[in-house]
Amino acid sequence: MRLDGNINYIVSGLERSGTSMLMQILVEAGVPTFFDDARKADKDNPKGYFELRGGKIINSLMENRFPFNEKKGKFIKITAYGLRFLPRGNYKIIYSERNIDEILDSMEEMMGKKDIEREKTKETFLRLNSSVKDLIGKRDDICVCYVNYNSILSNPEENIKKILDFLNVSCFKLDKMIDVVDRKLYRKRR
Amino acid sequence: MRKMKKEKTKVECVNIAIPKSIVEKIEKRIKQTDFDSVSSYVSYVLQEILSEDDEEEVVFSKEDEERVKERLRALGYLD
Repeated sequence: MRLDGNINYIVSGLERSGTSMLMQILVEAGVPTFFDDARKADKDNPKGYFELRGGKIINSLMENRFPFNEKKGKFIKITAYGLRFLPRGNYKIIYSERNIDEILDSMEEMMGKKDIEREKTKETFLRLNSSVKDLIGKRDDICVCYVNYNSILSNPEENIKKILDFLNVSCFKLDKMIDVVDRKLYRKRR
Repeated sequence: MRKMKKEKTKVECVNIAIPKSIVEKIEKRIKQTDFDSVSSYVSYVLQEILSEDDEEEVVFSKEDEERVKERLRALGYLD
């Protein structure tokens, strides 16, 4: 399967919102993706992170030195905060959302500690999510497909077809893509 | 056709040219509504469109920025 070589493709969303699962679904479909194994699979992401530089590409985005030209035609993962620093270009973004309390639960588990200012953190990440959606929604060089992690788990086929429509591609591996959606990993249900 | 709210406030107005064909369509449309004139209908529709641009932007403050960065560092997403 080939994607448009003039477009930068991005999977995004707040951290712990299902971005790794989305990347894995794309990998199973044979959609071109780009990631490394700087951060290995672990108990928090048993199937892997599908990131670049262990997720630390945000630093290079903030300093405007991320090589977008080299990544055209392939999906990469850039979490929501990084989208604030996208230079002008031509982007297609799959943006994942998830119940905010599940996201915060998962973050706390990953950090190995409770957040004593959880309500403040919650408001902050809700504002981050809204401001990033606002930003990418207004830019004429970005096309966005919004998906919801919780909805993907309850109805994977419908959501995966929505993604394939957005990419304007046919896929004969729908069953494999659906199989990625592993409800056993849905540990932070609210 | 659903009822729509009338613009009752008295405001200074100016004349704007609209194609006659559109005016005729509006006249038909407002027959079953509370609009008492083509002008009030057009004003209402334009106000609705313009107000979409006035929607308040989400303010992501410096404090928010620092809190997010701190969390991203803790999760290994930022140096």
